[in-house]
Amino acid sequence: MSAVLFLSVFLIAACGLIYELIAGTLASYLLGDSVLQFSTIIGSYLFAMGIGSWLSRFLNRGLVARFVAIELMVGMVGGFSSALLFLGFAYGHGFRFELYALVIAIGILVGLEIPLLMRILKDRFQFRDLVAHVLTFDYLGALGASLLFPLILVPKLGLVRSAMLFGIINAVVALWSTYLFAEQLARPATLRAASIAVLAALGCGMVFANQITVAAENNIYADEVIFARDTHYQRIVLTKWKDDIRLFLSSHLQFSSRDEYRYHEALVHPGLAAVPGARRVLVLGGGDGLAVREILKYPSVQSVTLVDLDPEMTRLFSTHPLLTPLNGGSLKNPRVKIVNADAFPWLEQETGSYDFAVVDFPDPTNYSLGKLYTTTFYRLLARHLTVRGLMAVQSTSPLFARKTYWCIVETLKQAGLEVHPYHAYVPAFGEWGFVMAGMAPYHPPAALPQGLRFLTIRGLPELFDFPGDMAPVTAEPNRLNDQVLVRYYDQEWSEITH
Amino acid sequence: MKPDRRSFLGVALVGLWPKTDRPISGGFVNESDRAGHRLRGRGPFAAPPQRVRIPLVVVGAGMAGMAAAWHLDKRGFRDFVLLEMEAQPGGVSRWGENDISAYPWGAHYVPVPGPKSLLIRELLEDLGVLVNGKWDDRHLCFSPQERLFLHGRWQDGIEPNLAATARDHEQYRRFERRMQEFRATGAFTIPMERAEKEPGLLDRISMADWLRRESFDSPYLAWYVNYACRDDYGAASSATSAWAGVHYFAAREPDEKGPLTWPEGNGWIARRLAKRLGCYLRTAAMVYRIAPEGARMRVATEAVEYVADCVIFAAPTFLAPYLMESAPPVSHFEYSPWLTANLVIERPPRESGIEQAWDNVTYESPTLGYVVATHQSLGTRQDRSVWTFYWALTDGPAARNRKLLLGTDWHYWKEAILDDLARVHPEIRQCVSRIDIMRMGHAMVRPTVGFLSSEERLRVARLNGPLLFAHSDLSGFSIIEEAQYRGVTAADRALKRLGGSR
Repeated sequence: MSAVLFLSVFLIAACGLIYELIAGTLASYLLGDSVLQFSTIIGSYLFAMGIGSWLSRFLNRGLVARFVAIELMVGMVGGFSSALLFLGFAYGHGFRFELYALVIAIGILVGLEIPLLMRILKDRFQFRDLVAHVLTFDYLGALGASLLFPLILVPKLGLVRSAMLFGIINAVVALWSTYLFAEQLARPATLRAASIAVLAALGCGMVFANQITVAAENNIYADEVIFARDTHYQRIVLTKWKDDIRLFLSSHLQFSSRDEYRYHEALVHPGLAAVPGARRVLVLGGGDGLAVREILKYPSVQSVTLVDLDPEMTRLFSTHPLLTPLNGGSLKNPRVKIVNADAFPWLEQETGSYDFAVVDFPDPTNYSLGKLYTTTFYRLLARHLTVRGLMAVQSTSPLFARKTYWCIVETLKQAGLEVHPYHAYVPAFGEWGFVMAGMAPYHPPAALPQGLRFLTIRGLPELFDFPGDMAPVTAEPNRLNDQVLVRYYDQEWSEITH
Repeated sequence: MKPDRRSFLGVALVGLWPKTDRPISGGFVNESDRAGHRLRGRGPFAAPPQRVRIPLVVVGAGMAGMAAAWHLDKRGFRDFVLLEMEAQPGGVSRWGENDISAYPWGAHYVPVPGPKSLLIRELLEDLGVLVNGKWDDRHLCFSPQERLFLHGRWQDGIEPNLAATARDHEQYRRFERRMQEFRATGAFTIPMERAEKEPGLLDRISMADWLRRESFDSPYLAWYVNYACRDDYGAASSATSAWAGVHYFAAREPDEKGPLTWPEGNGWIARRLAKRLGCYLRTAAMVYRIAPEGARMRVATEAVEYVADCVIFAAPTFLAPYLMESAPPVSHFEYSPWLTANLVIERPPRESGIEQAWDNVTYESPTLGYVVATHQSLGTRQDRSVWTFYWALTDGPAARNRKLLLGTDWHYWKEAILDDLARVHPEIRQCVSRIDIMRMGHAMVRPTVGFLSSEERLRVARLNGPLLFAHSDLSGFSIIEEAQYRGVTAADRALKRLGGSR
């Protein structure tokens, strides 16, 4: 009899500690700064236990029934604490409030347990033995839990299921208490039914724990991930939320299907429409085929050569049923030729010349990509343009990375090109910059293709107008042996993101 | 950058995984000590079956010999041969090539010449590196140029900066000021012979002593200066003349961020010169004797004996006594033993922090670090690469190091190189598939204390008879500008001497 009683003490002590550890771990996972999280969680929890112990003096009658009820409550609240916190973080707003409310609720309930149990047992044991035994098993339970938690529970079960498992243990203790102290209970059957209900709820929780975690994680990463693959060159991730498809390359956002037309119309038309009768077009980067879609709106264009490093990227955008509607199947168009190659060396051996070139590379985040933004590169590209040919270069944001943007302009200028900087607002990116460059003077187009959603002839001059906060700043040109651009970029974007 | 939890855990788990190292092939390449020993042992050599009368013979197709030939050819003088003992010309500017890239076996860059360095500018203009007074960007070293591994991480540039104290910075500034003062004296020029003043007192003490005398005691500065001496002169700063040490810092006024470099290093220049001079060049033609015959000189190889009016000896000067009976004394010429290795890198080792640079150096390593042969590629990524690893054996007497270098097997050096690289790239053994090693017992001359002002050096350098010396070792240090200058100067003297024989 007494062995079973003290086993209960051992188990409820273990449960109490586990909930505390789970709250602390989750808080440090989700909020960071583990020292702060653990200290405040442990402090609040112990304080709440103190409140519980104090409150126990107000409970006078029907102690066993109260004890069973408290066990069931601890089981429910503690058992679902982890799942509630995960979902709360993903979907709710007051995560911290929820966290501390849960910690204090559990703490109060756990604080009630031991004083009540000792009062229930006070007639069965000598006071001296009772205190010694209860506290001994209380501390043993804590030791067991603290070892079990990091070594077995977290790696094998995860946080959500661990909490539920210990909720089940609380409920089991409640259930067998109804048998142990049956003679002291007025209506044991009711309590037993309640215990079974709690056990069933937690059992279901265990079974569906995975779905809960996945749901929470999907929401933490904003949208549903519909595709993720590590190719030889990058990590391609596609997310979908309602009708918005987003492409991330190595975690940099490339487009959002809701507003990419703004970006791609601005990238292509101010230039291409200004080269009437353009026949041969080159696209460097832009394996998503969205710029190509815009280019194919010109009947005069006979061939589009798309050079993208990653074959997986062009394959995906040629075949994926969710993506081909975005680019209108442009990559399967017979006028389009796909070359999977590194742009700079490819251009070195290329002999053809083009009426229009789109330069749509990833931002210059490192010295390797920075080579594609150098005077040498632009000079080489200029040699592949026809006499009246133009190039349009994506050039990051003139608002967020002003010096970076004007550095690209300066680089094109130093490469001997006439430059025409312009910009457009793309909600997913913010204010975005482009540079048009060519050997011949630029005359704005007289007409644009039918069916554009963003650009109008009347609105074109606005794109070339830079308000004060994006106006030119002096910057060095970016050269192979002195890549100032990568340093500007790093500086400016880190000021924004940190 | 702060690693996120997942990647941290990933790294920690990978760390526990049992690792299998790649099998690494390779061996010693371009071994020349057998030919050298034959020369020093004086034979036996086959008597040449053929005798050829010729106005001029240039011995040695390293940079000095090729520069002499380049100059002669430009002046319209065609009656000469350029003899090279090795199968490949270039000397310390030799190169190699595999399916990944061309790579250097020695000299691997040219500091961007200032506006006054007319001779080297002329050569680089000929080769299309300098076009209309502008350097072609493709030949300038791409960003990022250099990095240093210090206190467990990489920093930008080779001058130690991480955890530098105010005192270190103050001494860097003061050192720079001193070097500017030296530059302003006009005594430190390239070529060194153009200087208005002789190397005086500075040549009597070592660079390390000079630093002490000037109260420079920053350990960072001391390391940096010592690295410069080891890298350019193959000698520690304590064994380098202070004049040469100062020359390294005070002689150049570059007009562009450099240096100039190519995948195969200065082999790029060597192979172009060799192509252009192909009609004069005879490789695998070891000269084993040079002897006077009346007013003429007999130059013997095993295939041909040349009877020449004039000989330009552009091989290392220390070889002279083994080839000629009445050679001038050359006992003060000291050379440093070097090892270079080319490593085939199948995949770049994972690392964090700043990106790999062209030149990658480890603080307080006995080696000089490695240079990435594929750095000058225009592509945005290279999975496979070739790293050229440099090691001047500067610790202790040259003779002992030479013995160690030539007396140990490939496996010994392979392991030594990998151990050194593993300090900065712990998983290097899983990334390398091949290590070829080239050993040079006498890789380059050392500007030891007193050598630059020694009578012996000056006497050889000023010789102006039918036998002219032209190796860069006459300048006391082995840089391309000196080699070119010595070659061109000897060629001019030869032309003057030959006078009407054109």
